[in-house]
Amino acid sequence: MVAIIEKRDLRDFDWLTSLLAVAIVCFGIWQIFNAQPEMNYWSKQILGLGIALVAFMVVAFSDYRRIIDAAPVFYVGGLVLLLLVLTPLGVKVNGQQAWLKLPIIGQFQPSEFVKIPTVLMLAKYFGARRAGTLRIKEILIGAAILAGPVGLIMLEPDAGQAMTYFPILAVVFFLSAVKIRYVVLTLVAGAIFIPTAYIVGVNTGAIKVYQQERIMAIIDPESADPRGFGYHTVQSMITVGKGGLSGIKGDTETSQSVLKFLPEPHTDFIFAVTAENTGFIGCVSLLLAYALLLSRLVAGARQSNDRAGMLVIMAITGELAFQIFINVGMVLGFLPVIGVPLPLMRAGLSAVLATFIAIGFVISIKLRRFVN
Amino acid sequence: MKINDYTQNLSFRIGTIQVAAFILLALLGVRLYYLQVVRGEYFSERAENQRIRLIPIPAPRGAIFDRNGKILVDSRPTYNVTLSNEPIKKINVNDRIEEYADGLTLEPEFVVERLGLIKKQPEFETMVLKENATMQDIVWVESHSQEYPELRVEIQPQRFYPHGTVLAHVLGYVGEISPKQLEKPEVQAKGLRPGDIVGKGGLEQSYDEFLRGKPGYRKVIVDSRGRVQSEIETVQPQAGQDLITTIDFDYQLAAEQQLAATPTKRGTVIAMDPNNGELLAMASLPSFDPNIFVQGSSTPEGRRQIAAYWQDESRPLYNRAIQGRYPPGSTWKIPESVGALQQGVITVKDSNVACGGGITIGSKFTRCMGSHGSPPLSYAITKSCDGYYYRLALKMKIEGLIEMIEMFDYDKQTGIDLPNEKVSQTPKSWMPSVVKREGKWSDIRTVYASIGQDTVVATPIAMLRAVAGVSVQNMYTPHFLKEFKPIGAIGEIGSSTYIPARAGFGFQHPEPKPIPMTEEQHKLMLDGMWGVVNAGGTAARLKNEHLEISGKTGTAQVASLGKDVGANKDHAWFVSFAPSYKPEIAVIALVENVGFGGSFAAPAAKGVYDAFMVKKGLITADSLTAGKTQKAAGAED
Repeated sequence: MVAIIEKRDLRDFDWLTSLLAVAIVCFGIWQIFNAQPEMNYWSKQILGLGIALVAFMVVAFSDYRRIIDAAPVFYVGGLVLLLLVLTPLGVKVNGQQAWLKLPIIGQFQPSEFVKIPTVLMLAKYFGARRAGTLRIKEILIGAAILAGPVGLIMLEPDAGQAMTYFPILAVVFFLSAVKIRYVVLTLVAGAIFIPTAYIVGVNTGAIKVYQQERIMAIIDPESADPRGFGYHTVQSMITVGKGGLSGIKGDTETSQSVLKFLPEPHTDFIFAVTAENTGFIGCVSLLLAYALLLSRLVAGARQSNDRAGMLVIMAITGELAFQIFINVGMVLGFLPVIGVPLPLMRAGLSAVLATFIAIGFVISIKLRRFVN
Repeated sequence: MKINDYTQNLSFRIGTIQVAAFILLALLGVRLYYLQVVRGEYFSERAENQRIRLIPIPAPRGAIFDRNGKILVDSRPTYNVTLSNEPIKKINVNDRIEEYADGLTLEPEFVVERLGLIKKQPEFETMVLKENATMQDIVWVESHSQEYPELRVEIQPQRFYPHGTVLAHVLGYVGEISPKQLEKPEVQAKGLRPGDIVGKGGLEQSYDEFLRGKPGYRKVIVDSRGRVQSEIETVQPQAGQDLITTIDFDYQLAAEQQLAATPTKRGTVIAMDPNNGELLAMASLPSFDPNIFVQGSSTPEGRRQIAAYWQDESRPLYNRAIQGRYPPGSTWKIPESVGALQQGVITVKDSNVACGGGITIGSKFTRCMGSHGSPPLSYAITKSCDGYYYRLALKMKIEGLIEMIEMFDYDKQTGIDLPNEKVSQTPKSWMPSVVKREGKWSDIRTVYASIGQDTVVATPIAMLRAVAGVSVQNMYTPHFLKEFKPIGAIGEIGSSTYIPARAGFGFQHPEPKPIPMTEEQHKLMLDGMWGVVNAGGTAARLKNEHLEISGKTGTAQVASLGKDVGANKDHAWFVSFAPSYKPEIAVIALVENVGFGGSFAAPAAKGVYDAFMVKKGLITADSLTAGKTQKAAGAED
């Protein structure tokens, strides 16, 4: 699959996007070190970045069109991996069977990677459609493509990961000329349905007490039991707030994460660690870096040669933006605690590798924008 | 865009997604600004509060010694296994019950009770799960620190009374300050807080302020599980001052052993130096073990034992020496005789008063135990002639008796340095209510009062002080404090944690109260009391060739004649001093419900005199154990 790297490739290669992504990961490694200075997560992350860069190059210099053509193969392969997770080959961590342990390759999280074949599959189907508004049949097929992986992930169960698949479909539908009135209708229905469902859920007992506590911790963090399930939210807000304008200086031995007040500091709450160590200035810089990265991706989508390529880039963009918002919103205490990773920052090979493969596609599409 | 023609408004739709993403990121920025810039200081403070802990370092309490340096009370380090509140909130405690009970050899019910308590009451930071942990317990906790982060081993100095029940009433005990005590403004002024250990009863209470040290603290950083990560500063505690008492432990042991050998094993023996009021021994039986109060108040078993002490009908917690009030019987005749001499009712030359074998007041005859003719004072004391005193008191009149009562301070506390001393009750205190009820003070009451019955009940310490006062013509304030040792300062002068040194000091003697008598009057009194032991008097069994003892027996009726059997038997008294004409030690013995003073109380005092003779080199300790045979009893009271 690896094409011969021509001189022109190097000229057209999107250095800015690539370096931006690498810079964010490096910034993340520093924060992972701050979070767990005594553990080797940060050095593992450096290794992860190396592996991710190799995969990134391979994907970036491959012809994305051939990969999209082969999407059904990847898609089916992805579903098989998700099925394997549910077999005894899967590994259970914190009550979720989300990991797969294979010989040689080691342990990884298929739900991170299957996003890519899902995006490709959707792009293949919706990229080939004729012009005109989206039809019901197309909507159903799109939903069916998504239902496969999402259904299997919900069996793990990993609601956080499952959630991150929905923006992919939403973006694809939106860009495939779904009528604006349907979009508005969906938003309004959501605004009514979600609170209603919550109230019904509470009254029927479908939403467990600990889940309610997580919600209540968002609405009223001051009166949440700091020792109950609101603990994570309260501690995360304290950690962020403590960072102040420019972060704590030279006092990392007594940071919230080192003293273990902040749970999961190197994974789900890595943004809180960033906030504590670099303050408002560091956090806003990081958010601007994300904004710039997303803008570069959108610009790439606009330059794309074909519909499928555009859809791939935009689906990935939408999904990244969604993850950033849900994760940081959780850290900042206005969204409930749910395990959605912060792209490029969170410690873990699966997440960084999957994100780099996705960006590799974007580069590949941009590289071939002049090719017919 | 090349693919624009595929869909309507594609560029616009892509732009919409981009703008939506930017709006979301901007929302995050606004929230960040609020948390970090607007409320940054608030959260910093919260973070600070949850990671900084002050761990108190308890100050060792001053030890208590006897006059010869023998240790009476000490503190020893004990280890407690404690439960921390923070981690316990997050675990299912039911999983722990069996494991704790097994590992620490506790009863499961007790573990359930403790876990319930700490879960329900969030104000408890920690709670003691096991006091006085053994080495095995400590090893178990340390080796399971990963599984049970909520358990910790803490060192705690604990008050220890090595001699158990011996001297318990004098020493008292310590315990957590009660909420009631804390409400008092004078207690708050001393800076005491809930959980502080204070003296309860005895010298522990009287001198709490000096025995108690000033606690130090460690300011530390803890992690979310409450584990100490690093130390910011340490302020060392200042130990309490050591107390040297006037007690001679050998006398104390002798007194307690002798009391324990009496038939009822209830009563008190007090020994005092009549020349300065230093108390050499104070025994009160039955006694209690102060260690139970110190160690047991937090365990159900200990609480049961404490409750049993409170409910015991023989009242072991009550210090008979200063809280018991008994009719003094014939011991009352000593201050009474002095009063009569001082008031001129009798004189040294003419001290004879008729006995008459008794007296008839109205139609009622009150008898004397013998028929003594018209004896002089010394003979009346020696033989304890009641008839003599019936008539003497009628001559003195009740006003004369009250004057004597005031002379000997029977209407006041003796001022002993122990808490909760009771005041004797006398005709002076009874007069208003008797006159109100009966219209007048009748002669029969004066007659009864003359032999220390009816309206007279006195504390043993007041009786001892009075008779010792007669022996040296000065009444001193009885006390236990000999000396408080000084203690050095803690920290640098000028630093915020500086604790100044505390100076040593001795007992601040109030002026003794003189008992004015002429030399002849004094000799007359001493002769009479010498005769009680040495001239065939009521305590002749104490006579010995090594030490001249003087004294007076007393038998206090608790029920009318004929009913004075079994539990209603008379209280036996013996108040004494030695050597007879140059007293160095005064001893009082009171034994409840045994019968005649000469038969029971005088022997109870003997142990102290034996110890005194050994100390003075008059006899050897061996001769005591060899010749336990007692002299034949003389005439009874």
